[in-house]
Amino acid sequence: MDLRYSEEDDEFRARARAWLQAHVPQSSRPPRGRAAADFDRAWQRKLYEHGWAGIAWPKEYGGRGLTALQQVIWYEELARAHAPHHINTTYVALMHAGPTLIARGTDAQKAYHLPRILSGEALWCQGFSEPNAGSDLASLTTRGVVDGTDVIVTGVKTWTTDAQHADFQELLVRTDTRSHRHHGLTWLICDMRSRGIEIRPITTMLLDEHVNTVFYNEVRIPRANVVGDMGDGWSTALATLSFERGTGFIGDQLELYERVQRAIQLAKQVRLEDGRFAIDHDDIAERLAALKAETMAIRAMTLANIAEVDRTGVPGPKSSLMKLMVTSTHKALSELIGDTLGWEFLEFDGNRVSHPWTYDFLWSWVYTIAGGTSEIQREITADRLLGLPRTR
Amino acid sequence: MFLAPDGCELEIVDTAAKFLSRSIPLDRLHGTGASPALKPDVRADFATMGWFGLVLPEADGGNGLSAVEHALFYREVGRHCGPIDILAQSLAAIVSDEPQLRRALLAGEQCVVLAVPDGQSLRLLGSHDAPLALHVERDRGRLLDVSAIETAACPSLDPATGMRTIAGGTARTVALSSDGDVWSLGQLGVAAMQVGVAESALALIVEYAKVRETFGRKIGTYQAVRHACADMALRAEAARCQLWSAAAALKEHRSDAHVHLDAAKHLANRAAVVNADVNIQLHGGIGIAEEHHAHLLLKHSLLLARLFGSKRTLLARLLHAELEV
Repeated sequence: MDLRYSEEDDEFRARARAWLQAHVPQSSRPPRGRAAADFDRAWQRKLYEHGWAGIAWPKEYGGRGLTALQQVIWYEELARAHAPHHINTTYVALMHAGPTLIARGTDAQKAYHLPRILSGEALWCQGFSEPNAGSDLASLTTRGVVDGTDVIVTGVKTWTTDAQHADFQELLVRTDTRSHRHHGLTWLICDMRSRGIEIRPITTMLLDEHVNTVFYNEVRIPRANVVGDMGDGWSTALATLSFERGTGFIGDQLELYERVQRAIQLAKQVRLEDGRFAIDHDDIAERLAALKAETMAIRAMTLANIAEVDRTGVPGPKSSLMKLMVTSTHKALSELIGDTLGWEFLEFDGNRVSHPWTYDFLWSWVYTIAGGTSEIQREITADRLLGLPRTR
Repeated sequence: MFLAPDGCELEIVDTAAKFLSRSIPLDRLHGTGASPALKPDVRADFATMGWFGLVLPEADGGNGLSAVEHALFYREVGRHCGPIDILAQSLAAIVSDEPQLRRALLAGEQCVVLAVPDGQSLRLLGSHDAPLALHVERDRGRLLDVSAIETAACPSLDPATGMRTIAGGTARTVALSSDGDVWSLGQLGVAAMQVGVAESALALIVEYAKVRETFGRKIGTYQAVRHACADMALRAEAARCQLWSAAAALKEHRSDAHVHLDAAKHLANRAAVVNADVNIQLHGGIGIAEEHHAHLLLKHSLLLARLFGSKRTLLARLLHAELEV
């Protein structure tokens, strides 16, 4: 057990830090819309051209072939440099579609898509959830009917983040209509410019439109776009997990730690209704300090997870705990800042630049719901980590 | 960088687990013959195994291992609500600079308990007959001769820990060390024991939830139980991983090791106390029975929570602490 970085790790960190210092965009990311997506693409393009894309991806697929730890170092340096956050419109392509194609894609699929994903040329969105299949994803009903060399898709997907900006979608449909639950599903690459697709944005409680409902009216998708086997889509969807080594949250960790430090500064400047500084209230001081300890634990959990996966070769069972930890810490901190700030906390009209604290507070529900609700994460933990009996 | 037990470290965990479940099983704390004392023959077994000299340098007669092995060993001790004497005895061997005394401590011939502040005085925690007591502060450790002073045994909520107050007389200082290492190892040891308590509580309820049935179903199928267990797993995981951070930071003499230690102790306190609480609740009626282990974990965690930094102190320090970057 040790906390020491190797010489290569230190050199990698130094190179990353120097490069970021010289290249982090001077302008801040536009808060929304096409401009935000263009900003993300341009930043990814720059990372790609300078060899900072796909750090832990295998070399044969255009990655750097570096270690999970170096991936963590990269996220830490991104956060330290206040570089654009890696959870942006490129996220699904880089963190989900790419790894899935690497695990299960055909040579042709890999050759076409992976370079476009790494370079930011292609943005992806996810087509898993439906109006009646959220937490219970396996109950999805969007249908895919094989017709010659095509699969014809009809149905509805929803909560699709950035569908309006995406070029491709990872689309999970039921190709065997007699099948139940996890069986008879197929994972397809859907070109978002296909005929028959209609995208309707959903305005959220954050007053933005980052999620959408997507309607498919007999959309033709070539059979060549099936990833994995026809009817084996559930296993393809899970294959991504084998790539995930629980490192994706480390950027949030460092950001959360810095946010706690900023909140402490804020509490030293803000007076509460009794005229005393917020920091001089024991309850606020204690909550801030406890959150600092929790953000430290998130880092420790990430590093311990990498070590355990390295030793056992078995990934994944603790990523649910990681998500619970990060999202609950984020929410507790957002609430605390809300308790500290005065009326300006409530002067929110959707502008995340002028009112970042309020925006982050509202975002905490996106965090605890998207990508598997906290309740589902607890179920996964009970099943896979604790081995409790299941009824589902 | 490898933030998990590995190689020889795992062997020590295994050896410790086997030894402790034989020498200090939780069953010792139930029934009429129950006693918090570390019995002489058991103390001798600990000495034979070399546990009292785990981190003491080899030149001083110890095993010369690091803070990491120290944390791993005390986590196992915590699972069994092990007597606090074990930690006091080990730390006393570090404080002692006199070879003969150190040898006697390592051999378990001289018994040590822990002295903690109690208003203007001290209170002694551990076996009632110990003639020595170790008082540890952040910047020093003092080994005291308490054989000549007047002490009074008092009731103890925690069946694993005897308590005595000092009624009169002045304890003589036998040995003094004036660096922070003794505190750090003490804090790490207690945090590790709390992690062990938190993990034991989780293990007990998970085992029970797989067999106990209500309304014709195993209770482990109910989300009211499952989700509470998942939250226990998260508390234990966060505390355990931060414990690894603190142990490695201390081993590597990092300048921010004390910040990692304070965070580890805080998270371990919370994990132990809350997990012990939830474990009782989820067991239902049997959870409040004396014959069950559940209450032992809660009572021991409440005692450990007051040692080497209680919540108030730890959080006050953490608020202004800075990490090395």
